[in-house]
Amino acid sequence: MQTPVIEASDVSKTFGSLQAVKSLSFHVNADECFGFLGPNGAGKTTLLKMFYARTARDHSPQSRLRLFGYDPEEDELSIKYMSGVAPQEDNLDDELNVIQNLLLYARFYGMPSAQARRRADELLKFLELSEKRKELIRHLSGGMKRRLVIARALLNEPKLLILDEPTTGLDPQVRHLIWDKLRQLKKQGTTMLLTTHYMEEAFQLCDRLIIMHRGENIMEGSPRQLVAENIEPYVLEVTDLQANPELRHQPLPAGVRLDLSGLTARYYAASFEALKSLGDQFTRAPHFLRQTNLEDVFLKATGRMLDERQ
Amino acid sequence: MSGSKEMRFPKLRQRLYSVWYRHMRVYTKHLFSNGFPPFLEPLIFLWGIGLGLGQFIAPINGQPYLVYLSIGLLVTSAMWTSSFECTFGTFIRMEFEKVYDGMLAAPITAENLILGEMFWAGSKGFFFSLAVLIVVGLFGKLPMPGSLAAPLIGFATAFMFGALGLLVTSFVKTINHFNFYMTGLISPMFFFSGVVFPVESLPKKVQWLAELVPLTHCVRIMRFIAALHWDSVILWDAAYVIVFTLIVGFFATKRLKKRLIT
Repeated sequence: MQTPVIEASDVSKTFGSLQAVKSLSFHVNADECFGFLGPNGAGKTTLLKMFYARTARDHSPQSRLRLFGYDPEEDELSIKYMSGVAPQEDNLDDELNVIQNLLLYARFYGMPSAQARRRADELLKFLELSEKRKELIRHLSGGMKRRLVIARALLNEPKLLILDEPTTGLDPQVRHLIWDKLRQLKKQGTTMLLTTHYMEEAFQLCDRLIIMHRGENIMEGSPRQLVAENIEPYVLEVTDLQANPELRHQPLPAGVRLDLSGLTARYYAASFEALKSLGDQFTRAPHFLRQTNLEDVFLKATGRMLDERQ
Repeated sequence: MSGSKEMRFPKLRQRLYSVWYRHMRVYTKHLFSNGFPPFLEPLIFLWGIGLGLGQFIAPINGQPYLVYLSIGLLVTSAMWTSSFECTFGTFIRMEFEKVYDGMLAAPITAENLILGEMFWAGSKGFFFSLAVLIVVGLFGKLPMPGSLAAPLIGFATAFMFGALGLLVTSFVKTINHFNFYMTGLISPMFFFSGVVFPVESLPKKVQWLAELVPLTHCVRIMRFIAALHWDSVILWDAAYVIVFTLIVGFFATKRLKKRLIT
């Protein structure tokens, strides 16, 4: 058995009276893509920052965090040298152009300039930015900036790639392109950590994930396993319950669970047939029968109400 | 995990250099607009003071007023540039541009970054003092060869004010607060630290105040070296600059680190 790339046990972080991360324990294996899924304010970014020593975890005797066997608070340089980080906010140097940004950053790794040039060109090609080589950062689209931030994180051929919401705010084309590239990297043996609140992204990329809410681990597993184990296979969504008000108070058929929020009703069940016949009764209300997905699990686990951190 | 790659993160010297290099690269990107003013400012002083005000002022300690003032400017140009760099500049990099977020994801520590800022501030001081030296020197208004030491004094001055600026930055919540520091501390220092007139001309009761603030010591060192004149008070001045830089630099690093590493 190989040593895990990340071992975390009882890791917490408190800011004043706010406990942002609550006693998380998990491990991430080499070549794995591990995700942290949660609403805004769930503590995902705080957790990532602990990995590369931007945030110090709470000190307690039981708390332990190791990356490649190193404690971020003691050997941050070793960890950073082997990892690449793509933060949530693009923080490229606006005054410089694309290639200059990469070459400048390569200095931080002590990379000789010929090697830096080669590697930068390789990465621009990989992320389909070669044509923008001399473009100023402010002339790039959001998607291009994001890809450049990822390219920058890859400069030193990291063993671990840390991605904080890699595709938030991007259009579907760019999102799919980035997913594709990340899958290629994973195939080449890069271990990946990512945070997201896109269920689709977690489903597409992650081997395993933790659903976080208010700093806590709500559930953990592979995306398929989480769906299979935590929610009924089918859901009937009725988006305007008032169109058929008479059905509102009728007793639920056996094996059907109702989740009501606003005007929308969601009926969950293991039986497709049961939901189909229920759906047929909604003569006026628009309704839609589908398979459940990670989003349903997520909402079931974290609740539909917004909290003060969102 | 085994392997040799992890041990090859860059040495301290390289890490500091990469922080310095990043700032130098961005600064020289606009070489003309950034590099021209340091040369223009002393020219304006030469004309404004030399052709204008200077004619009405008696020589100070046997020096024409223009010469007296110019020696002071060799030092204050370094103070001004590093004070702006490590207050507004640092704050913008930290809070608005998020440049440090990118840099701290690379293999450098927060301490490396902060010390790198001070070296960069020192280097800018070197350059600004050099610019004054060249312009005013070409007009023959500086004692030679003593004034040639100006860039080195400029480096030390700017390094010290860089550390002080970073300490101030570690307290500041909104960028406008720097106005208090600039108007409340840096500007008065310019006028009351022996740059525009000798400290000895201040009322006796407040002279100790001039002795307390850092700029006075840098200016005095510069004057003595420019005149190639030795006086044991230089030892006090040098000790002040070194101790002040170490103490302020220590607390600036400590406090700013807390802000960067939450």
